[in-house]
Amino acid sequence: MHDGPGVRTTVFLKGCPLRCLWCHNPEMQSAGKELLYSSKKCIGCQACVTCKNGVHTFKGLEHDIDRAKCIRCGECEKNCPTGATQICGREMTIAGIIKEIKKDEAFYGGQGGVTLSGGEPFLQKNAVKLLKACKEQGINTAVETCGYYDVTEAVPYVDLFLWDLKDTNEKRHKKYTGVSNKRILENLYKADEAGAKIRLRCILVNGVNTNKEHYKKVSDTVKSLKNCSGVDVLPYHAYGGAKAELLGLSDNGDKTLIPTEEQIKQFKEYINKSR
Amino acid sequence: MEFSCVNGIKRPVRLSEATRKFAYESLGHKYGLMTKETMSVSLDEIEGFESFTPIKKYDAAIMKIASEAPVRICDGELISGAATLGTAISHQIPATYNGKPVFMSLSHLTADFETVVFKGVNYIRANACSSYEKYKGTDKEEFAKSCLNCLDAFDIWHKRYLEALKEKGCTDNYNNLCNVPYKPAASFYEAVQSIWFVFAFMRLCGNWPGIGRIDKFLAPFYKSDVEKGVLTEERAREILAHFFIKGCEWICGGNYGSGDAQHYQNLVISGINEDGEDITNPVTYLILDIIEELGISDFPTTVRLNKNSPDKLLYRVAEVMRLGGGVLAVYDEENVIKAMTEYGYDLCEARRFANDGCWEVQVPGKTNFCYIPTDFLQILQKNTLKSYDNSVAFDSFDALYNAYLDDVKAFCEGLLSSVLQNNMLKCEDGVWAWRKNIPCTVISLFEQDCVGRGLSYLEGGAVYNVISPHVGGLADTVNSLYAIKKLVFDDKKIGFADLMRVLSENWENDEALRQYALNKYEYYGNDNDEADMICRRFLSDFADICDSLNGRSGYIFPGGVSTFGRQLEWSPHRLACASGRKQGEILAANASPTPGTDRQGATALIRSYCKNELHKLPVGAALDIRLLPSCTKGDEGLDALVSLLRGFVNLGGFFMQPDVADAEILKAAQENPKDYQNLSVRVSGWNARFVTLNKEWQDMVIQQNECGCGY
Repeated sequence: MHDGPGVRTTVFLKGCPLRCLWCHNPEMQSAGKELLYSSKKCIGCQACVTCKNGVHTFKGLEHDIDRAKCIRCGECEKNCPTGATQICGREMTIAGIIKEIKKDEAFYGGQGGVTLSGGEPFLQKNAVKLLKACKEQGINTAVETCGYYDVTEAVPYVDLFLWDLKDTNEKRHKKYTGVSNKRILENLYKADEAGAKIRLRCILVNGVNTNKEHYKKVSDTVKSLKNCSGVDVLPYHAYGGAKAELLGLSDNGDKTLIPTEEQIKQFKEYINKSR
Repeated sequence: MEFSCVNGIKRPVRLSEATRKFAYESLGHKYGLMTKETMSVSLDEIEGFESFTPIKKYDAAIMKIASEAPVRICDGELISGAATLGTAISHQIPATYNGKPVFMSLSHLTADFETVVFKGVNYIRANACSSYEKYKGTDKEEFAKSCLNCLDAFDIWHKRYLEALKEKGCTDNYNNLCNVPYKPAASFYEAVQSIWFVFAFMRLCGNWPGIGRIDKFLAPFYKSDVEKGVLTEERAREILAHFFIKGCEWICGGNYGSGDAQHYQNLVISGINEDGEDITNPVTYLILDIIEELGISDFPTTVRLNKNSPDKLLYRVAEVMRLGGGVLAVYDEENVIKAMTEYGYDLCEARRFANDGCWEVQVPGKTNFCYIPTDFLQILQKNTLKSYDNSVAFDSFDALYNAYLDDVKAFCEGLLSSVLQNNMLKCEDGVWAWRKNIPCTVISLFEQDCVGRGLSYLEGGAVYNVISPHVGGLADTVNSLYAIKKLVFDDKKIGFADLMRVLSENWENDEALRQYALNKYEYYGNDNDEADMICRRFLSDFADICDSLNGRSGYIFPGGVSTFGRQLEWSPHRLACASGRKQGEILAANASPTPGTDRQGATALIRSYCKNELHKLPVGAALDIRLLPSCTKGDEGLDALVSLLRGFVNLGGFFMQPDVADAEILKAAQENPKDYQNLSVRVSGWNARFVTLNKEWQDMVIQQNECGCGY
């Protein structure tokens, strides 16, 4: 109930061209399937040892995983009783996705519908096709995007863009997300020109973009757009870190990146001035 | 002076300072503690009492109560009348003999306040007089006389209030109580006082009646007074607020097991009338205003929704609901009416429906109702599966299901049989006649058609006499059946006999399989057709069984689904479940999923629930949903909550009781009760101040299905 107005069904599309330091969906960065493993849930029953590629081995209760050997076939997930090993991601047809979305039709009313999220939804070449199909079925559409791809083609099929503006300083943006913000801003203005309805999503990360220059530039950006309804401030949280562990990486949640109440308040003041 | 709210949202201020103060003090136990100062009246001095017939004893008790109960007039109260004897708070008539109360009182009924307001008590007395003339010299004479005696007692009580008001110089209240409740009300103010005064008298005598469709009764008076220019919206709100506040006269704090706000003072608002027209009116919104401002949870209020309910109503309901406290619940009235008419109720009667003060649907003012909750999981475990004895064998799921259904049928037959034995006798000519039961004339006076028939409410006087068997542990039963189907017959993970052995050992020896059963299947409440269809099939078959047992006596036997917290007392007797739960775990409430098994969010839950043919269960099936405050925040949260309500109606629900509460806040209230005195939660068909629940109940409420929507 947070990804746009009303009751919404959120569809997560895998794959993202960015690698943000603060990413809270690390399992969505790769476009392919991922093996997720939680040692906390493992009860050592060894049902996963049927793996034909030798990914899962045991020394007593100690469960060792050789990810390099994993072909993401899903056999271990089928057999694991606790859900300790899971495959993240599956292929679906557009028709299959629409069927899922329509299950909650009784609840959408005038405002609710589907939100595409991820990852970066527009990395998938059929994202626009999916949005078009939704509109044909009368479903309200919203997309959460980082803006890396040109979305002009999608504009007729999107009721609301939730557009990330992570940092307005180009060098810093490249340092912390892996890409420059130049093309993101270009795409933003292009979409705006094409008549897109936009809401900006601004993550606030302590010590990275918690400064007045950034706040002012965000406020200026809102003013300069024709169709922007405002800004959602998203304070950094460290919960994504635990998900990184499921991928075999270390928990990279960093509490020092959490912004203070004062910083959040300041940012909101700048934004309110732009209304 | 703050009226607490679980979400930290500030409640609006519309009422006068004086009224708010009155509310604050009442919620703060002022009048409850006063009520406990005089527990009851004594019948010891009455000569020959021991040799009286029960009805004569009853009449003497009511007369004593009316004559001697303290008269209480609260400073600044706008309406008068008070149930001032403490024993009534524990569901007994507050009249003792040799130190012990003589009679139990009644609840789970909604009295006929419509007749009180529109025709007046004089109308009832006229009927009582002609009945007495008619039944003099027959075996109905004693009851007919009792009606007159109790009305005499009521007159005495009314006069005592008039005198006291005069003495205190409360001229407005005095004038307002002169004509009502005897004559039909002639103004909004009189109408509210009329309802309250009769309600208070019934409570004074120990009963716990519900009120029903109060906004429907008050609508014409509000309209007329406003048009005449003698009533403003503000004044009407103040008067109604006093009704609510007076209803807090039994709040005493303390620890009550299942909580303190449970005197079943239920209101039912909005919805259509006998002619199919929507009665939603300014009074409906005033009631919502009052609940929003004061957070008084003692009048659980259910809103009758339909597909055409105006947006304005839905948004107001959602705004008030998200303040938490579990005060508001909703009916899908179209489905309720469908259920009642398919069962055989006349359409106009069905459209009048309210509830019994709790949530079970009934026609108000003319229904004698009781329900019998049973742990249906135990029927499966102990009867069909013989406590996992190794002699049990089924070679297909259908064989198991049919055997269970046979056991359910046998159980229901036995149930009806024993209830009939207790309440009726079969005469020589094969006709069922009513046994003598405890006297309850005060109720009989306000329930049709007791006075006319010359029969007590419990002895055939009511137009409808309902015994409703309720399925308790529905989700647990369905999930057990589903798990057995999957593990043994579909996925063939284990043989039937081996599964019985594993369960008889309380899962001690096969943790991997237990985890599998817990995690790999999507149980009832997740919009998984496979599991949900078992539930649908079972409820339909259960409804058919109830139907087949109808018509055998003066009772009708419609089915329902509920637990009402009884899963607490049932849990020690429950064995391990095939769905992965161990012995003694407290499981599902009402028609809600087994806690922990619903993982797909609120919309999936509602979808699962609505797949059932709820219109085959005229008494109803309650769905509890708990939402996190964060889900209902802001305009988006409001839209979402309204969408849930509309979805519930669009999909064909019956009764839904959402609450907005955070388990973290509830846990904090457990630790520091004095900081959360007025925090109210939905329990299971009623709400209660959380800190008045004992720890077991609190833990169960915390455990109940919490839907965190969106992470």
